[in-house]
Amino acid sequence: MSKPTDLVQGTLDLLILKVVALEPMHGWAVAQRIRQMSGDVLQVGQGALYPALHKLEQNGWISSEWAVSENNRRAKYYTLTKDGRKALQREAADWERLATAISLIVRAV
Amino acid sequence: MRLANIARLRLRSLFKRMRVEQELDEELRYHVARQTEENIAAGMSRKEARYAALRLLEGFEQNKEECRDMRGLNLVETAMQDLRYGIRSLRKNPGFAVAAVLVMALGIGANTAVFSVVNSVLLKPLAYRDSDRIVTLASAWKSGATERLVALPDFRDWHDQSTAFSAMGCYRSSEEPARANSETEYVRVARVSPEFFRVLAVEPAIGREFDAQEERSNDSAVALISYSYWQSHLGGNSSVLGTSVHIAGQPLLIVGVLPPRFHFPENSDIWRPLDSVDRTLPRTSFSFLAMARLKPNVSIEQARAQLASIAGRLENQYPDTNKNRGVAIAGMRDDMVSNVRLTLYLLLGAVCLVLLIACANVTTLLLAKATARTREIAIRAAVGAGRGRILRQLITESLLLAFIAGAVGLMVAWVIAKGLIELAPADVPRLAEAGIDGRVLLFTACISLVCSLIFGMIPAIHASRLDLSDALKQGGARAAGAGRSSRLREALVVVEIALSVMLLAGAGLLLKSFVALNNVALGFRPERVMLMKASYPASDRQGEERARRFFKQLLSDIAGVPGVSAAGATMGPPGHVESAGSYWTDHLPQRTRTNPEGTVDAVFSVATPGTFRALGIPLIRGRDFSDSDAAGAPLTAVINETLARKAFPGQDPIGRLLFAGFDSDKAMKIVGIVGDVRQWGPARRPDSEIYMPFEQHMAGAGTTLIVVVRTSGVPEALTDTLRRTVHDLAPDVPVKFTTMEASLSEEVAAPRFRTLLLGIFAGLSICLAVAGVYGVTAYIAGQRLNEIGLRVAMGATPSQVLRLILRRAVLLATVGMALGFAGSVAGARLITALLFEVASDDPVIYSAVAVLLGTVMLLASYLPARRASRLDPLVALRQE
Repeated sequence: MSKPTDLVQGTLDLLILKVVALEPMHGWAVAQRIRQMSGDVLQVGQGALYPALHKLEQNGWISSEWAVSENNRRAKYYTLTKDGRKALQREAADWERLATAISLIVRAV
Repeated sequence: MRLANIARLRLRSLFKRMRVEQELDEELRYHVARQTEENIAAGMSRKEARYAALRLLEGFEQNKEECRDMRGLNLVETAMQDLRYGIRSLRKNPGFAVAAVLVMALGIGANTAVFSVVNSVLLKPLAYRDSDRIVTLASAWKSGATERLVALPDFRDWHDQSTAFSAMGCYRSSEEPARANSETEYVRVARVSPEFFRVLAVEPAIGREFDAQEERSNDSAVALISYSYWQSHLGGNSSVLGTSVHIAGQPLLIVGVLPPRFHFPENSDIWRPLDSVDRTLPRTSFSFLAMARLKPNVSIEQARAQLASIAGRLENQYPDTNKNRGVAIAGMRDDMVSNVRLTLYLLLGAVCLVLLIACANVTTLLLAKATARTREIAIRAAVGAGRGRILRQLITESLLLAFIAGAVGLMVAWVIAKGLIELAPADVPRLAEAGIDGRVLLFTACISLVCSLIFGMIPAIHASRLDLSDALKQGGARAAGAGRSSRLREALVVVEIALSVMLLAGAGLLLKSFVALNNVALGFRPERVMLMKASYPASDRQGEERARRFFKQLLSDIAGVPGVSAAGATMGPPGHVESAGSYWTDHLPQRTRTNPEGTVDAVFSVATPGTFRALGIPLIRGRDFSDSDAAGAPLTAVINETLARKAFPGQDPIGRLLFAGFDSDKAMKIVGIVGDVRQWGPARRPDSEIYMPFEQHMAGAGTTLIVVVRTSGVPEALTDTLRRTVHDLAPDVPVKFTTMEASLSEEVAAPRFRTLLLGIFAGLSICLAVAGVYGVTAYIAGQRLNEIGLRVAMGATPSQVLRLILRRAVLLATVGMALGFAGSVAGARLITALLFEVASDDPVIYSAVAVLLGTVMLLASYLPARRASRLDPLVALRQE
């Protein structure tokens, strides 16, 4: 039920898209990758991860298929779609703009 | 491409639900497994590791539910599930379900029934081609007075000078003795102008219309007959054309049969062209109804403007007769139903209030149920149902309830509609066609939907706002939110009481009007009077003479029948004005002019000697007609008190001369004054009236009379004797019986109908409101059981406890009644037109409503309150 309070609203989608863009991966790996890549700063609450994945899939930004995972078990792998790539570019650009704007204000004395 | 993909996924979510569910489960299980491994690697025990993993997932089931929502797991899907739950929960509570469905079905059924009548009478188009192009034309005066009847010369000018219409026709109809085979009986015969059938766009099913020659020549002996008359009287024989039907002894050649179900105007069965008398009637004789068909591209406003300019020309051309006279034009359907529109809308409004009360009642029921279900809802919320999901479920349940109620309501409506048609006055147009059609079904579906929203929304929102932990901790009926819920219920009861007051006040006002209407001094004694209509066929002077002798002999024979105390005959009994017009006293003016205001100067009546005694009309001065007032004798007249007062103020009218524009302009000597009679029915004040002896006015009165027989016993008992008396004298004279009281009862049929129905609706509303008050008081008492127990334990007496509970109920009733009275005073102004000698804010009615409703409400709350006051404190306290 809880949303990732440590993440700016809406950025979870961006993170997932970015991570999945690297290679197809399953949910657990997505969470792990985000944690690793952020240097353990961003802990994605798993309660938020799966709903987000399902929503992105419904949006048609990622697609899923079942495959055998690295430890020989069936897992659901998510892949970025063409639409998803466009969405990622859009979201990333938005984020850049936002981050720049925020840092401009924060650094200003 | 993308859309197709999304659609595919959505469809998959819907149809492969099991697959999707499994995958979701598997995906999350995989996550837990991986996390567990990780945790073990980090040094936890297996059990610890799994527990930690699960905790991280923050509730497995909730997570799944949220994933489902994100998939937009379809509305249809959850709706089906909700429906199943709904049915199950209704079946678990059959008492509640039956009560709620019955209450709603009654409300919906009554609404549907009244709407089906409104639909048939007011909304449906007439059964003619392009019927919205058909208009009626009437005479209108600048004073505002209108007269549905028009004069034939006026009609001809409108017809010849206008271009807005593709056809214009006029007609009159009356009951006449007709004989197709052996028996003579009364049949409605219409006299129609050329183009009559073209206005209605009706053509004969068999044969032809009247040809131009038949329409123009005087007294052409041809007729068209109705399909049903053809079937019932002429055996539906195809050789009907060329045979004849006899009207008033004259054979008419049948030239055509009209299509099935065509009986316009009224219930006509025979149509014939206008006769020579019709064609020579002056501009002062208003005898015809007129109608026209608008050309396709002409609006009613354009037609009205054109007719106004024609009427203006006629005013200049014929100032004596047409001064201030214009034309009124209206859509035919609107015109036909103008009399009943207000009554029907009143009924629709009333029945709508009943439905609102029913809704309020079911809402309180549902609210009680929702409170009882607090625990169930809390559990559902705890296992992951979102607020929207719970809301949806509760609303689905009320929708289910409403639609079951709607279906039952349709059956109720069918029964009620039958009753309505049975009870309704006979002259409501198109009532017989009332039934359940597509539009009525749509209406029922709509009101069911609206109802379910009204009574479903409030408890649903209320329940979905639950505080979870509170609800689970306390459980049962005393859960959190009970306070809010009881306030809501109280508000609903206040609304119920207020609406009941409005209905009751409306019914009271109508009832008082109706009583006043029935108790009005009519000026004659209607009880034990038989009316017998009889027509003697006469087409020439000799026939007229035979008719005179027939009626004279008949009246003397009837006077000798045992059980008859007096007998007479008249053109029309009181309540039916057959003729009216201007009169002059002492001498006839050089130039006669009609009343420019279009109002009636005097009612013209024709009567035989003995009629006043038979009807019980008191003779004030002078004498009644006698046998000496015969055809050759000097003309005489009897006037009523109103005419004596108006025309001869402070003078003695007896012996003075009087002229009336009835059938001759000869002077009549006034020989008597009789008491006033309400000639137009009980609702209208008496007009001036001139009575003329039958034998001197056969030219105007004709040979159809209403024989008035006062009996010493039950009037109906004499029917057969009277019929035989007539038959012995003249076998081919048709007769038709009714009693004076039955005839009067028709006059007040519309008010009776309104009063009865509004009374029924008001009664219904009181029952519902009583149930509501009872329920709420019982509920309040239940809520305060613990408190009451404490109070009793501390020494409170039963009467103190009684007062404690009743105080609340009295407060609710007072607030409800105050609101109701405010609403009634505002609403009653709408029905002023339906009231008779009663003001819309009649204090007696309002006090009676207050006393009645107050008493009933007090009783309804007294029972549960008393039960609470007799409580054993030990039992009450132990309940907690």
